[in-house]
Amino acid sequence: MPSLTLLGQALVSGLLAGGIYGLLALGLSLSWGLLRLVNLAHFALALLGAYLTYQLGTAYHLSPWLAAAAIVPLFFLLGLGLHAVFTYFRVTEFTSLLVTFGLTVILESLIQWFWTADYRRYETPYATASARVGPLFIPALELLACLTAAVLSLATWAWLRFTYVGKALRASAEDPAMAAAFGVNHRVQGFLLSGVSATYAGIAGAFIALISTLAPSQIWAWVGVVFAVVIIGGLANPVGALLAGLLIGVSESVTMAVVTPAWAPLVAFSVLILILVARPERV
Amino acid sequence: MISLQRLGCRGVVAALVLLGFVTTVAAAPSGPPVRIGSTLALTGPLAPTALLHKIAGEIYVEELNKANGLLGRPVEWVLLDDQSKPDVARSLYEKLITVDKVDLLMGPYATSAILAAMGVAQRYQKMLPHHTFGMPHLAKYEMHFPTAAFGPEPQRTLPTTVFDALAATSKPPRSVAIVTSKFPSAQHQSSGAKEVAEKRGLKVPLYLEYEFGTRDFGAIAARIKDASADVLWIGALGLDGNQILEALKKLDYTPPRHFHLFPAPGPLAVAPYGKLALSSTVFEEHPPFLGNPGAARLVPLFRERAARANVPYPHVDTQAGGSFAAWQLLEAAVTATKSLDDKVLGQWLRKNRVPTLIGTLRFDGPNNYGDDLFKVKQVQDGKWVVVWPREFAAPGARLLPP
Amino acid sequence: MSPAGRRVAAALAAAGIGLGALAAAGLPAFYESFLYLIFSWIALATSWAIFSGYAGYFSFGHGAFFGAGMYTTATLTTALDVPFLPTLLAAGGLAALLGAGVGAVVFRVKRLRGELFALLTLAVTFVLATIVLNTRIDGGPGVYLSAVPMPGLLASPTGTLYLLGLGLALATVGAAYAVAHSRLGLGLFAIHDDEDVAEVEGVPTFRYKLAAFALSAGIAGVAGGIHAMYVSYVTVGETFSITVPLYVVLMSVLGGARHWLGPAVGATLIGASLFAFTGGQQAILGRAVVALALILVILLLPEGVVPAALRRWRAWRPAAREAPASATPALVSDRQPGREAAALECHDVWKAFGGIQALRGVSLQVAPGEIVGLVGPNGSGKTTLINVASGHYAADRGRIALGAVTLAGRPAHAIAGLGVSRTYQIPRPFAHFTALENVALAATFGAARCSPPQARAEARRWLEFTGLGRRATALPHELNLHERKFLELARALAGRPRVILLDEVLSGLNPAEVAGAIRLIRQIHAGGVAILFVEHLMRAVLELAHRVVVLNEGEVIAEGRPHEAMRAPRVVEVYLGRTHVA
Repeated sequence: MPSLTLLGQALVSGLLAGGIYGLLALGLSLSWGLLRLVNLAHFALALLGAYLTYQLGTAYHLSPWLAAAAIVPLFFLLGLGLHAVFTYFRVTEFTSLLVTFGLTVILESLIQWFWTADYRRYETPYATASARVGPLFIPALELLACLTAAVLSLATWAWLRFTYVGKALRASAEDPAMAAAFGVNHRVQGFLLSGVSATYAGIAGAFIALISTLAPSQIWAWVGVVFAVVIIGGLANPVGALLAGLLIGVSESVTMAVVTPAWAPLVAFSVLILILVARPERV
Repeated sequence: MISLQRLGCRGVVAALVLLGFVTTVAAAPSGPPVRIGSTLALTGPLAPTALLHKIAGEIYVEELNKANGLLGRPVEWVLLDDQSKPDVARSLYEKLITVDKVDLLMGPYATSAILAAMGVAQRYQKMLPHHTFGMPHLAKYEMHFPTAAFGPEPQRTLPTTVFDALAATSKPPRSVAIVTSKFPSAQHQSSGAKEVAEKRGLKVPLYLEYEFGTRDFGAIAARIKDASADVLWIGALGLDGNQILEALKKLDYTPPRHFHLFPAPGPLAVAPYGKLALSSTVFEEHPPFLGNPGAARLVPLFRERAARANVPYPHVDTQAGGSFAAWQLLEAAVTATKSLDDKVLGQWLRKNRVPTLIGTLRFDGPNNYGDDLFKVKQVQDGKWVVVWPREFAAPGARLLPP
Repeated sequence: MSPAGRRVAAALAAAGIGLGALAAAGLPAFYESFLYLIFSWIALATSWAIFSGYAGYFSFGHGAFFGAGMYTTATLTTALDVPFLPTLLAAGGLAALLGAGVGAVVFRVKRLRGELFALLTLAVTFVLATIVLNTRIDGGPGVYLSAVPMPGLLASPTGTLYLLGLGLALATVGAAYAVAHSRLGLGLFAIHDDEDVAEVEGVPTFRYKLAAFALSAGIAGVAGGIHAMYVSYVTVGETFSITVPLYVVLMSVLGGARHWLGPAVGATLIGASLFAFTGGQQAILGRAVVALALILVILLLPEGVVPAALRRWRAWRPAAREAPASATPALVSDRQPGREAAALECHDVWKAFGGIQALRGVSLQVAPGEIVGLVGPNGSGKTTLINVASGHYAADRGRIALGAVTLAGRPAHAIAGLGVSRTYQIPRPFAHFTALENVALAATFGAARCSPPQARAEARRWLEFTGLGRRATALPHELNLHERKFLELARALAGRPRVILLDEVLSGLNPAEVAGAIRLIRQIHAGGVAILFVEHLMRAVLELAHRVVVLNEGEVIAEGRPHEAMRAPRVVEVYLGRTHVA
């Protein structure tokens, strides 16, 4: 029978890991829900952000925070560019999967071309720092990532809920023709959202660089679980994405604490299946 | 008189120069190339390590061509990308044999791809030397030749070596926590470690298997810390070991001793928490290994080439060492038998011992496995040094206590 | 089989013989294995599209069925020494069972469509993978099939696999063609466009989805079983990776997911491109080039390669002229014996949506040959009553019957089959079907249950009847509102109903169109159909209805002949306010 401390530590660990899932899921949830485009390249962008953080940190000795600050505008522009391609070719939800898959492979190849396939680790002094709360340890970097996820989620929620731009976006997503009749400039809103979504990918990437080791094929490691998080949380639901991430993170972690860790995905996804089948309205 | 002598001297010198020139020209390989075909995971999740094998192979083939080639003919390496997929590997080996019609084969990277290639080699009765196979009991083809010299029962011999090394220190461990990925070869050898440990009277307070691809090790780290064993055996592949150590550090826990099964060597050696990590190897860049055949020549070449390719850890160890050894096998067999016939080569290899970079290899044991050549190495001052058995330890090095 | 079907079957057979002979003649093994991989992908992508492409339920779980098949063969051959070929039957059967099981649970829940369905199928894959990894089926070390004897269909093992793969690919493409041209396929396509309407038009959606999903899963299982012998070393990591579920989607979208040949074309293109750049030196950039090519193709041909090609070809060929239809068909009278006209009866029907009580004990009847007007202010429950009567929603309480047969509690498609049709206030035609096909669907699945050629003839007649004869080949988005409303009407009529429920058919029409519609409704009534129509346009109600029922806030507040009912004080109060009651 695992001790309370062990369970508590697993809970903490799961929450923090879930925060990263939420952070990654945030941008994807927004673009899928509000632009009706499935952007697989979100993961490639995140990893690109990670590699850039690594490069700026190791080759130019920029602190991660400065690196992230430099990445944000760059990724905003990348998001704009991506959306330009989508609108020019009138890409639909259906075909966006294929287009972004191609983009992901291209980005993965570029990353491998510049940084080789070998592992890269961005060593920083904060990598193993932890805060201590009673018998529990709270790793600093993961905590920061989780807090960032929470702040961005809430900020996005508020933005969508209370600002004109946010409401315009939601209206356009529901009924573009009607929204346009009311003067909503769908095009501009779409670009804005794509830029924001890409920035979130970049920020998630910065944290990934700090927390894990990088290899080009890492892009694919996150796809399954983050898609699950996005859908459970509800498309275009920023707070939902965060909560869903936490849910999956905790269920995986607690399982690993109690039984053979290899069973973890079973528990997380069985819980998910049960929720979906028994009470789909909750989702 | 004097002029004749001078003419004679100059003539002798001229004749010598001419002779030297002629022999050099005659020594460069000529004629139709000997084509050696293989695949590697140049893209996909296995690419990080396959890159090392690509570099090793390229260096070896270049060196061959700078000397006499194989049987006086130049060597051409036909290398294809199996994208880390065994089904693609199978198909590409069939292409190499039936379409490209290569003369000889070299194995791909990692167990699954090697098994796929082995099936093809078996059907066409071609010899298959390979360097990274982790499950000896599955290799049933009589013409396969492994340089991942685990011996036929790595799940027994490797843990025995490791525990022997630990037992010879001033404070032998009394308990071992075992955490392993469910990657087939890692799990196989780690479950063996559990049996060996229990037979030796060591307590195993924790035995955990995690899924290959686990992202968050927080809970596992908490259980390791709870178990509080003297040694932590990590059946890790690639970077799992790093992640586990980091997760433990965040819990303010450093395992007294930790052994990693198949780590990515570079990241572990340079990581701050990698101090005194243990692992196993068949080659490291220090004596007595540097005295092995080919080492003095190949090691500096690899270092230079790998650094140019931006590889963060440009040193020869088990991966590159095993790769070089596999090429050495090929060369030795071909040179000795003066033949490119797979059957002839295979028979020769089974009957003879071949001295290579990693030691002397023999293939007359079960499933063509011979001796277990794995030694224990440790990270000391940011570098890997062999510490056990004592005859192979780096000069003056020994297994340092925590 | 239709002539087109015979042509396709012949083409497939020819391809099979040709490609098979190629292998027997001694193709180098590489081409056999390369083509085997293509065949395998063709089978996987096509089987995925049979359900997900046709019905629009994007499944991300194809990997689960593929993996189930792989491990079935792996386990049976190694642990139980079953010969290889019989295990393929087991592999397909088990996978089909798994698909049916998942479907049986999931398809009952209305909300689990779209991305929720995608997620659920993905979750099933993870669950299955974990179970296989942690139990004796695999447990971690993988399953090695090298000792399993290969059946000697051809001289070499690769040749045998090639033949098996070829056979499976051809069978799958043939199955896709057969499904696409069957009632099952028609139903699936309708489900794709609007599942609820399909159900109401008579398509047994649950059964069809289940059948298609099980078929799709079973084929994937067989493909997996064959693949187990191909790789000969089966591990969880390789089998349940994201490759299969992702690539089948990409291949189908590239080739055209709604066309029976689309996924095969997509699979060939993408499968071949995997080998395009395997040369050592260009491996990395080669992948990028292939990806770029893929992007360009889909950007330029968004509907898929095969539909785009067909569109070009059709534009080049002149279209065939359809013969005009005959005179107005009779409705109830000239039909199958034993289907007498019956009265629609609703007795004490209650329906609530969350906190809103939409119907409070509503009772009304529509006798055979009657036209009943259902009126009331907005929100009084009129559309809800129609929804409940047609089976779109289930009533909470109360009895709804057609003659002696109870309707309440039956699925909507059964109700349609018994002879109840309805139109929608905002027309809901199937977007990808032409006007003709929309109506033909109702003729196929409604009470009339026509065969395909009969259905087309019926459809043409009804389109003529409603004045849409010249718009038969138009797609719904090309029709204006008036035309779409009449399309609704034609569709409702093609089901040969005994009772027709019209929901505000006249709203949005100009006066000339209204007059035309009223004439049409009279003609329908003359054909022997009872009509319950919801209308706000009082002039139409007063002209057409024999009786009027007035609803307010879910209750019947008046009933009777139009002029009398509309003058009842309560009705005036409800419509115009208390001050006008006098």
